[in-house]
Amino acid sequence: MRLTLLREPLFQFLVLGGVLFSLSHLVDRNKAEAPDRILVSSARIDNLADGFARTWRRPPSKEELQGLIDDYIRDEVFYREGRAAGLDRDDVIIRRRVRQKMEFLAEDASSAEPGDDQLAAYLEANPARFRTDDRLTFRQVFLSANRRERTINDDSKQVADALTQLGATGDTTSLGDPFLLGEDFKAVSQTDVVGIFGDDFAKYLAAVELGRWQGPISSSFGQHFVYISERIPGGLPPLAAVREAVLREWSNARRLEAEQKLYRSLRDRYDIVVETPPSKSAQAGP
Amino acid sequence: MMKLLSYLKTGSAALLVTALAVPALAAEQGVSTDIGTLDQESAEKAFPAKPPYSPYAGRNFPTRPFFGDTHLHTSFSMDAGAFGARLGPKDAYRFAKGEEVIASSGQHAKLSRPLDFLVVTDHSDGMGFFPQLMAADPVLMATPQGRKWYDQINSGQGATAAVDIITSFGKGQLPKGFPTPGTPAYRSAWRETIKAAEEANDPGRFTAFIGYEWTSNAGGNNLHRNVIWRDGGAKASLIEPYTTQPPLGSPNPRDLWKWMAMCEGKTGAEILALAHNGNLSNGRMFPIIESFNGRRIDREYAENRMRWEPLYEATQIKGDGETHPFLSPNDEFANFERWDKGNLDLTEVKKPEMLEFEYVRSGLKNGLKMEAELGVNPYKFGLVGSTDAHTGLAAVEEDNFFGKTSSSEPSAERATHPFVKTDKAVIMGWEQTASGYAAVWATENTREAIFDAMKRRETYATTGPRMTVRFFGGWDFEAADASNRLPAKIGYTKGVPMGGDLTTAPTGKSPTFLVAALKDPIGANLDRIQVIKGWLGKDGQTQERIYDVAVSGDRKIDADGRSKASVGNTVDVANATWTNTIGAGEMITVWKDPDFDPTLRAFYYVRVIEIPTPRWTAYDAKYFGVTMPKETPMTTTERAYTSPIWYTP
Repeated sequence: MRLTLLREPLFQFLVLGGVLFSLSHLVDRNKAEAPDRILVSSARIDNLADGFARTWRRPPSKEELQGLIDDYIRDEVFYREGRAAGLDRDDVIIRRRVRQKMEFLAEDASSAEPGDDQLAAYLEANPARFRTDDRLTFRQVFLSANRRERTINDDSKQVADALTQLGATGDTTSLGDPFLLGEDFKAVSQTDVVGIFGDDFAKYLAAVELGRWQGPISSSFGQHFVYISERIPGGLPPLAAVREAVLREWSNARRLEAEQKLYRSLRDRYDIVVETPPSKSAQAGP
Repeated sequence: MMKLLSYLKTGSAALLVTALAVPALAAEQGVSTDIGTLDQESAEKAFPAKPPYSPYAGRNFPTRPFFGDTHLHTSFSMDAGAFGARLGPKDAYRFAKGEEVIASSGQHAKLSRPLDFLVVTDHSDGMGFFPQLMAADPVLMATPQGRKWYDQINSGQGATAAVDIITSFGKGQLPKGFPTPGTPAYRSAWRETIKAAEEANDPGRFTAFIGYEWTSNAGGNNLHRNVIWRDGGAKASLIEPYTTQPPLGSPNPRDLWKWMAMCEGKTGAEILALAHNGNLSNGRMFPIIESFNGRRIDREYAENRMRWEPLYEATQIKGDGETHPFLSPNDEFANFERWDKGNLDLTEVKKPEMLEFEYVRSGLKNGLKMEAELGVNPYKFGLVGSTDAHTGLAAVEEDNFFGKTSSSEPSAERATHPFVKTDKAVIMGWEQTASGYAAVWATENTREAIFDAMKRRETYATTGPRMTVRFFGGWDFEAADASNRLPAKIGYTKGVPMGGDLTTAPTGKSPTFLVAALKDPIGANLDRIQVIKGWLGKDGQTQERIYDVAVSGDRKIDADGRSKASVGNTVDVANATWTNTIGAGEMITVWKDPDFDPTLRAFYYVRVIEIPTPRWTAYDAKYFGVTMPKETPMTTTERAYTSPIWYTP
């Protein structure tokens, strides 16, 4: 992970850090250079040459290297002067890039590979994210609100009676109306039931018992009677089955956490005062 | 400074406008996947003479539509990133899966329901550009422009530099060293894109496609395409995306097609492309005269376009592209979310004669004409909708609209800020359209199944709601089929689905269609279902006609096939609410073309119209307590467009 990062242009960007403050911040603080002195170290020169070589697939010639060094000095002069004049301060792009860099730093710090015990603990602490849905196999009899605008409640009672008599194995194809997505649903997840029929319907189904006709259940399409023949319970899978997903979530959580931590620790250094703007600015302007 | 910033925003918006390309398909298959045959076979396999005991066995036709977005940008896109999008591809996939994320503007964002699939399509040009520029890449630095931008940024004039970069891009005047395939900056951006898709892909539950946008923008005219892989990272990482900047890339679609053929040949991948926003192409999206060489399109163009571009993105945030009132004066639903002031960056105003070559319906019609001339229909495409959002958020529900760019995420001002502004014209923030999604009738939620369904065009576009729409064409559908218990079974058995072909009309028969729609379970009722027919007359002129085939309530369909009575309107604009007391939850019917001439080429597609509901601007006005400008539409009629079924004599 770290090695990959070293090859990233972004990393180079971080190191060269022409625009950004963190490096020069450190440099300034360490008094490695006096404010009026520009040191082009041999490490820096190697770095410039490396950058060239990566693009051109060959090392720079002597003249080219000199050009890079001159250029670096030129950058540095303008950069320092520009910063001294405050040109970086109100620039949205620079501010964003700096912020992004800081967040990338936090991300990198959080990128160590976790062990299985850490992942297992994460899985246990965040079960909702990894739990698989119950899956239902069911048959429905549908009464269309559209087709039976006035009679749907009476029809519904008749269908309820008929289903009671038919029981589990009876032929229901003469009852009710066609439904565009069909009448038999096999091993459909709770999420898909929500997607097809809506939330209330799915909640109802989640709660009823198997092996008998249930209903009527209302949906925004009309009324439904449902016979659930099988409920394959979902649950929390073992780590081995979801390791990849847990690793992804774990890394993401660590990234956010590290970013937040970094932010907190930095923010604590400031005394932050937010003024209340005059009330007219609360209105929408043209 | 404020002025500069707002200019910047418009500039970015203009560049952002992107395209959706849908992937081109598999190498081994020729242009003409015969959808009809394919489905006939699967139907026969599913329903042998004696059905199996288990009603589920062999049921291998698509049983539900999958909803997704084939066109979404993240901070990896040069324009999106430079102007504030912070969410990358990983965040984009998380959001699409239904997770709550923090949008770039700092607001919490979550979809009402997860999407089933997503393609992150960042611009191929300039992938990784900003990191490279900031790292003082020597090649870039050797150019006057690169040097200038670098110096500008380093001296605090980043905003000026960004405008210049975007303008230069539009004019095709980018410096040597702009990140191009083969450079480390480029490679790392592409690898990250692939990695995010690989991590998010969860076969059976959520499909994360690998893709990018080829943003051909010659002269500011939108010819963008999105490119999508059927395969995973192993094949996609063997190659880097095609760009539009010469000498490596080209803005000419013919060159993209060559690249696609090369890509399939060399890597064994299957890819397809889809275009979008013909409305911003100023007459160049569905050309009869090619803008790149001034010549009439030829058979080679037609074959390649048909082979590589099976789909078109018909509706999205930058306007709806089905048709235009100028082209369809008798279509009372045509005046919908129009963006017809100019080209993509508003550097050239629109002229009426351009419209014919920009919209879906006229494109399909001209396709028939070109087929008669060339023997191949270049514009035989299916339809999807997508967002083209540059926020990492595929959020286009009217009450949950996160805008085109990070600067147009929900705020009291977003509707009243100019979205694109030049000396030629202005497009205001309120003109953004909260649209759309792609619906795909795939057999399962996997890359392979969804891609294959896209290739056979078994898709439809919606402007946001997740309505279910079925459309089958054949010669033998009869009224009783609309009452069949298993509409899909009868549909696949007796006909071909949307995207398919009808040929050789049996003597004396007219095409019949099984047409059905089911409302979004949490959405608005339906007003009507229409079949839109286009054909090539004996005189060589194209024609179109609208038929209302099912309407809600007690309204009648007149002898001319139309129902002029309005469904009504229950929208309470001030409170941004409506009720489902009008319209219908579901409709199904069998329709027979009453004006069929077996000697004439024709296409048929379905348009489903919802009852009026509050437009996103009404939700904004309510939530932020602001008054919208008078000209702002506050209600909308959401809709779906299916892929056509073509009749070829």
